[in-house]
Amino acid sequence: MTAPPVVTDQPSRIARGRGATSRRGSKKLFLSIVPLLVLVFLFSYFPLYGWVYSLFDYRPARGLSGSKFVGLQWFQLLVSSPTQVSQIVQVMANTLGMSFLGIASSVLPLAFAVFLNEVRSKWFRNTVQTLTTLPNFISWVLVYMIAFSMFSSTGLVNNVLVSSGIITIPVKFLDSDTHVWLAMAGWGIWKTLGWGAILYLAAISGIDQALYESAKVDGAGRFQTMWYITVPQLMPTYFVLLMLSVANILNNGMEQYYVFQNAFNKTHIQVLDLYVYNVGITGNSLSLATAVSMLKSIVSVVLLLTVNAIAKRVRGTSIV
Amino acid sequence: MTTTISRRTLFAGLGLSAAAIGLSACTGSKSPNGSGSTSPFPTAWSDEISIDVFDGLANQMGTQPGWFAKIVKDKFNLKLNIIAPNVAGGGDTLYNTRVAAGNLGDLIITDKGQKMDELVPGGLLADMTVYYPNMTHAARFDKAVKHLNDGKNGVYGVPTQVSTLKPNESSEGVDPTFGPFLRWDLYGKVGYPAVGTLEDLLPVLKQMQDASPTADNGKKTYAISLFKDWDGNMMNNAKQPACYYGYDEVGFVLAMADGSDYQSILDSKSNYIRNLRWFHKANQMGLVDPDSTTQNYDTLFTKIQNGQVLFSFWPWQGQAAYNTDAHMAAGKGFMIAPLKDMKIFSYGAEAYGGKQILAIGSKAKDPERVAAFADWLFSSDGVYTNNSQTMGAAGPKGLTWDVNSAKLPELTDFGKKALVGGGADLPADWGGGTYKDGASWINTTLVMPIDKDPDTGYPYSYKMWKTYQDASKNPLTKDWASRMGGAATTMDYLRQNKQVIVGPGASFTTPTDSSEIETIRNQVKAIIIQQSWKMSFANSDSELESLLSDMQKTADGLGYQKVLAVDMAYAKAQNDARIAIVKEFA
Repeated sequence: MTAPPVVTDQPSRIARGRGATSRRGSKKLFLSIVPLLVLVFLFSYFPLYGWVYSLFDYRPARGLSGSKFVGLQWFQLLVSSPTQVSQIVQVMANTLGMSFLGIASSVLPLAFAVFLNEVRSKWFRNTVQTLTTLPNFISWVLVYMIAFSMFSSTGLVNNVLVSSGIITIPVKFLDSDTHVWLAMAGWGIWKTLGWGAILYLAAISGIDQALYESAKVDGAGRFQTMWYITVPQLMPTYFVLLMLSVANILNNGMEQYYVFQNAFNKTHIQVLDLYVYNVGITGNSLSLATAVSMLKSIVSVVLLLTVNAIAKRVRGTSIV
Repeated sequence: MTTTISRRTLFAGLGLSAAAIGLSACTGSKSPNGSGSTSPFPTAWSDEISIDVFDGLANQMGTQPGWFAKIVKDKFNLKLNIIAPNVAGGGDTLYNTRVAAGNLGDLIITDKGQKMDELVPGGLLADMTVYYPNMTHAARFDKAVKHLNDGKNGVYGVPTQVSTLKPNESSEGVDPTFGPFLRWDLYGKVGYPAVGTLEDLLPVLKQMQDASPTADNGKKTYAISLFKDWDGNMMNNAKQPACYYGYDEVGFVLAMADGSDYQSILDSKSNYIRNLRWFHKANQMGLVDPDSTTQNYDTLFTKIQNGQVLFSFWPWQGQAAYNTDAHMAAGKGFMIAPLKDMKIFSYGAEAYGGKQILAIGSKAKDPERVAAFADWLFSSDGVYTNNSQTMGAAGPKGLTWDVNSAKLPELTDFGKKALVGGGADLPADWGGGTYKDGASWINTTLVMPIDKDPDTGYPYSYKMWKTYQDASKNPLTKDWASRMGGAATTMDYLRQNKQVIVGPGASFTTPTDSSEIETIRNQVKAIIIQQSWKMSFANSDSELESLLSDMQKTADGLGYQKVLAVDMAYAKAQNDARIAIVKEFA
């Protein structure tokens, strides 16, 4: 605690002081966002460094420094023949196809929540909600175990069908190439329906009860209140979630497809992430896999620019 | 001040971590006490350690249990933690992740050629030079060790499957590796029909399946049951019948043992496609187990044990699973039913060892002890206990076998029960548990079972002992022998009828692929495996043909022909090496 110095030139000191405070303040503010900047750098920009692997012939045993630099060899390989290109095209079709199915089915949790909300019996509603939410917490490996014990050639369904004499040869549900996308979408819905409905149920409980009461006074029935009040009130939530899922269109995960893949359905089940895994880890070509995975970033940028252009035209403002 | 230093060292450490790993790898491989281990291995080890065994051949994962664990513990105070890529699945996934992490394991069993060639410069294998002088058992095969480490500036691995036989002698003693083995009792039931060629086998199998529609456990029987675990360059199961005609694979090439023919597997007339058509026809006839597409080897093995499967590609599968004492006494079991035109491929004794090597990891906790253990595996004790049971490993001397009064090795009563009698529980001082469960999980043959034990003067494999062959005559083998002109063993029959062709053991390894070839190969083989399974289970002949042309077109589009040219060159180089080595050892 030293005594304050004698003040002689007060106004200028105050001005200086203010400048220093605001500088100090902005420094503080800057410091407070530094951890976030570091995180963004570490997890969003630093991984891009991994792209250099696509320019090498990377061998894990030798490390990057010991691997040969090959330039754009892997990118050339990807477009070297029509078959190579058609493989990538098929993979992209699978990725986008199943993603769009996923997006199209995003109305289901909404509908489910709306109908569940109309159930009067509380215990029944809670039971249904719990039972439909639970699958979300089961890992895909276990989901496949369930699928296997139900639908394999010696599974429950085939056993029942064979022993009741409806069929004589077991039906191959799992190792067939028909309707793979739909089946995968079906499993996805089964797993996430209840979970996806939670947000909507929360939103429903936030709807002003006065709206329902006045509608009833005006003589609206139950389906009318659902259609004219609940659904419109949920639309903002729905669109936010839709936007998020569109942004994630290429990230449709690989666990599900990884556990369900086999020789018979591989053509239609390989999504981009799974293809990268199969090429890189299973097929031992990490550099080629890196090159393929860069596709994802390129497609994402293209998608972003497209959405941006649409937004500009429709809403007059761009999002980036 | 201290923080600055630690920070600086931290950054230096990060920057140089790769180099540091490399350096520590080099220094770590030297003797732990720094004096250079010229003294012999100690006979006792005070502290117990657990070592990771990365084993490309193991079919079980986890801590080795039972009597083998007890022997290893008593001798070396070691616990073996087996890491098995076969169990983990996904091809080289486990290998790659562990290699990228810089530590494959303490004891490593992996392939020579490409893998060894990248692990040595990558600093993942320890140089055993300091320990090798003490590895007296492995040194019996010094020529093979030297050949393996030729040009590597150190001793980075020791070969497996070594023997003192000549390379053009079959390495198989009693049974070949491949052969059309089927349920002899049912074959007899339908009247021992003569089988002309592979395709003629299907109607016979159909009759057999009809004669025994359900197994003892009440489940439906199928003549043929497949599995996908071992698919590599192609669908593994579909290669096997090609081996009945003298072919073995070199990448995408099926090469005749004597170099007289080389087939591209995707050629419409190749034996591989022939076999796919055979599977397809079998499936159309209702002979193929529908579980084939999803089951693994273990499930299939259990099915064979239960009598649900009537045909096996290999004696070491069908016979090992089903030919128990009880079954054979009832005349039931798997025996070879010769195809008139077959010429079974037989592996010649590998002069310089087999495909796998045994190596010590550069980060091994106690490399000296690992070296001592590895050496012991080459000793007679090691061979008897560690060799796989399907290869006829007799087990620990004094427990399962002993030398009898006539100085001949003979199975004890316990041994008979444990090895051929459907299993036995171990006495308490051997740690209890069943004998089978306690067998070595390493599943790697270091010295060929046909090789003679210098101590007894007889082969390591009990199946080749006269005492065993005399004692094991039973209704099944008697019936088989009576129809096979009195042959004592399968190999005897094949040799007498000139139905076996030996591919001399040149210890040839294909050179490392260029990265481009390797990548195309991996893409193509994924397609081949996928389409092969689809073809086997195609609903109609026209679907089969369209899948075939689809496979050929896609594979060609991905660059199959390029890889094929490389494989053709390898196959021919292998043949040259075979000719050369036969001359060298003549």
